[in-house]
Amino acid sequence: MSRRQLRLGAFIMATGHHIAAWRHAGSVVDSGVNIDHYIEVAHTAERGLFDQVFVADSPGLFHRGDTESLSRQGRLSHFEPVTLWAALAAVTKHVGFVATASTTYEDPFTLARKFASLDHISKGRAAWNVVTTGSEQVYGNFGLDKHPDPEIRYERAHEFLEVVKGLWDSFEDDAFIRDPVSGVYLDPAKLHTLSHVGKYFKVAGPLNLERSPQGYPVIVQAGSSEPGRELAAATAEAIFTAWTSLAEAQSFYRDVKGRLAKYGRSPDELLILPGISPVIGRTQAEAEAKWNELQQLIHPSVGIATIAYHWPNEDISRWNLDAPPPYYPEAPKGRNSRQHVVLELAKRERLTVRQLYQYLAGARGHWVVVGTPQKIADDIQNWFENGAADGFNVMPPILPESLNEFVDLVIPELQKRGLFRTAYEGKTLRENLGLKRPVNRYAARRGIAASSQGSTLASR
Amino acid sequence: MSVPRPRQLTLGAFLPAAGHHVAAWRHPSAQADGGGNLAHYIRLAQTAERAKLDAVFLADGLAVNMTPGAAGKTDYGGNVEPITLFSALSAVTSHVGFIATASTTYEDPYLLARKFASLDLLSGGRGGWNVVTTGHSEAAGNFGLDAHPAHADRYERASEFHDVVIGLWDSWEDDAFTRDKATGRFYDPAKLHPLNHQGTHFRVRGPLNVARSPQGRPVIVQAGSSPAGKDFAARTAEVIFTAQQTEEDAQAFYRDVKERLPRYHRRADELKVMPGIYPVIGSSESEAIAKYQELQDLILPEVGLSLLSTLIGEFDLSRFPADSPLPELPETNNLKSRQTLMYEIARKRRFTIRDLYLWVAGARGHWTIIGTAGQIADQLQSWFEHGAADGFNLMPPVLPTGLDDIVEHLVPELQRRGLFRREYEGSTLRDNLGLERPVNRHAAARSSAGRQSAVTA
Repeated sequence: MSRRQLRLGAFIMATGHHIAAWRHAGSVVDSGVNIDHYIEVAHTAERGLFDQVFVADSPGLFHRGDTESLSRQGRLSHFEPVTLWAALAAVTKHVGFVATASTTYEDPFTLARKFASLDHISKGRAAWNVVTTGSEQVYGNFGLDKHPDPEIRYERAHEFLEVVKGLWDSFEDDAFIRDPVSGVYLDPAKLHTLSHVGKYFKVAGPLNLERSPQGYPVIVQAGSSEPGRELAAATAEAIFTAWTSLAEAQSFYRDVKGRLAKYGRSPDELLILPGISPVIGRTQAEAEAKWNELQQLIHPSVGIATIAYHWPNEDISRWNLDAPPPYYPEAPKGRNSRQHVVLELAKRERLTVRQLYQYLAGARGHWVVVGTPQKIADDIQNWFENGAADGFNVMPPILPESLNEFVDLVIPELQKRGLFRTAYEGKTLRENLGLKRPVNRYAARRGIAASSQGSTLASR
Repeated sequence: MSVPRPRQLTLGAFLPAAGHHVAAWRHPSAQADGGGNLAHYIRLAQTAERAKLDAVFLADGLAVNMTPGAAGKTDYGGNVEPITLFSALSAVTSHVGFIATASTTYEDPYLLARKFASLDLLSGGRGGWNVVTTGHSEAAGNFGLDAHPAHADRYERASEFHDVVIGLWDSWEDDAFTRDKATGRFYDPAKLHPLNHQGTHFRVRGPLNVARSPQGRPVIVQAGSSPAGKDFAARTAEVIFTAQQTEEDAQAFYRDVKERLPRYHRRADELKVMPGIYPVIGSSESEAIAKYQELQDLILPEVGLSLLSTLIGEFDLSRFPADSPLPELPETNNLKSRQTLMYEIARKRRFTIRDLYLWVAGARGHWTIIGTAGQIADQLQSWFEHGAADGFNLMPPVLPTGLDDIVEHLVPELQRRGLFRREYEGSTLRDNLGLERPVNRHAAARSSAGRQSAVTA
């Protein structure tokens, strides 16, 4: 048994995670719609032996704040994730592709099909980040009068996942015979109709696509709210989460791993990957200077817009930016858990309004580590070895610059410490992540039937 | 801007998995698992590009075609989704266009607008959408419906769906993105437009979260030949795929469709008519005939019958003797124009059920031409020069070899005759098809308002 090693994903935001990254000299300004940029990023991630690259997504314009602040943000136009990853799959070999897609606004048949297609095209490197869509502004694109409540969204998500997995099992792995002599292309006994009838969906099936190389694309979840944790424990194989202190991350890790047993799952079937936004310098001073340079690029109207939604009834622009907010709103119960994380942080650190928005702009409530490659590796190792993480979702503040630095400077340090691979272990994303390939449900039933019959015969 | 140039053929390659012939996958030169095989499709796309073809095209269905009576004996059911596949192919090609089929009956307009816009940007302006209302009824069950909607209802929805999608593709004006690092202004808010569509079938606010592509928007393709289909094409389509058997029929169709255009304030050259052809190419005519027969001999009777049952409008023909003429069946709700064509052919050629299924097994009712590259080029030239076609959708019998035959023999022959390009004219699909880049509606409104006020002044 080899030593436990880190799983690393690169969380790609067009120009970088920092909200002002697009203004920085190290970013490619049109990267949201620049395929060459993404090809470069994917190649860099692969050179760094990352398990996967990941993009967040929302089926609509993500708009918080007024037009003025919106027009100063570099994130409004970007590729749709599955199409983007399909393009990159054709020019890479090892790195996995995690695409975000919504169970609230998409259709299960269409979604099952596009992810299975991506898994085929990438030869087993696809993953689906299952979201119920946090953004409250997109419902209007889908003929709805309001964004559905979290209870509805999560209930629908559970059923949606059940349908999608059922569709992915439509064909058994060995259904396709393709014998030119007899003219038998597939064994109809190994093609299964789902016939799902539920509260939200009625889906006959089967899916019109052969079972994909990984059986199912890897299931990822990114909500840390109560219903999000439960959905993850029931279904996810990796979870992206945002914590800024070791203690919080440990408590989350324990909590989620502890929920697995009731779904008949073992702790190693779900990887917990907190976000980390590394600002790297050859010296601590250089790293801090880089961070400050980014913070200075945040236009105040953009900064204020990133926090204004916490105080929906206030005109924050009239507050003193260099004093703490006059009060904090109640953390909404069971809702967007990222809001909770951010406000806890602000309270604890007594941040001024400017500091709060600057903090948010840097990593949106995720963990920012500013320092040398050694310091960053120390922090990663500390969380990894103390029950807080199975790996990390690395969130480069500036792209492509920060990812290049991470691959050139931090990865070798992690490898030196024996914490990270020096070559890909497998061909599929599951193999690299150390996750099992799910057995087709119908084949499993037949296997059980056959083996119980076998034992009956043997006992005679 | 389109540059005046001699009228030349537009050529597309229609590339289903192992080939068009229903038994193609059994042929030794076929890629039997082609439908989910990226390497196979990369080879096909690069071959098409080497020959300077305008586009590659994929049809699509949203259900496993159960082929009653022939279960497991066709290669239906293993194809990856076209937009995902074309996105992958866009990364390993630089000129050929990608026309993907997607359904207005079973998809959502915002999600569809977005994925096509994404493909169009990924490919640098080479995307096309073949707008279909879905002909096969099995899809309904996969989307929570009890029955496939009626033909007229599907076209009504398609029309509104199209308008929503086109509207979303105009969300951003071409020059909306200033991306000025110094001032911190990423885009000009005056050039971002929500759609606020409220219609019978859809309410869609917009705007789309994808910028306009180098060709403005994906090329709109249509493939229905029913009267409703033709009207829809005349209003919306820039390319129309059609199945025509004779030059006279093709001329009549061509005239009919082009004459519908002025009703929608469109010129004849704004819509390219591209009949499908199934070319069986040999170095001699007898070699071509032998090649054709080799595939015909691979057809299992139950497969042929099942295919015909589908094309005739999803009626089970297995209870009729194969040696009898086609029975009278009710008009279909599904593949209307294809059903009509089947009856015409059977009547004209006095076909039995068996004759007919053997006849459709390759081209499914498209025009079959068997011969040398020169003989085939003669016929294509005649259609092209006599008002029957602006170009053709080439349907290789077997893949990959059928496309190799086209590229190595037929295309060079057409180039020698000056009928087809030797180099791509431009970098977008529109450039190559000779279609104008559509002006963003909001930019157009602004400039016409500008002209108005100038006139008033």
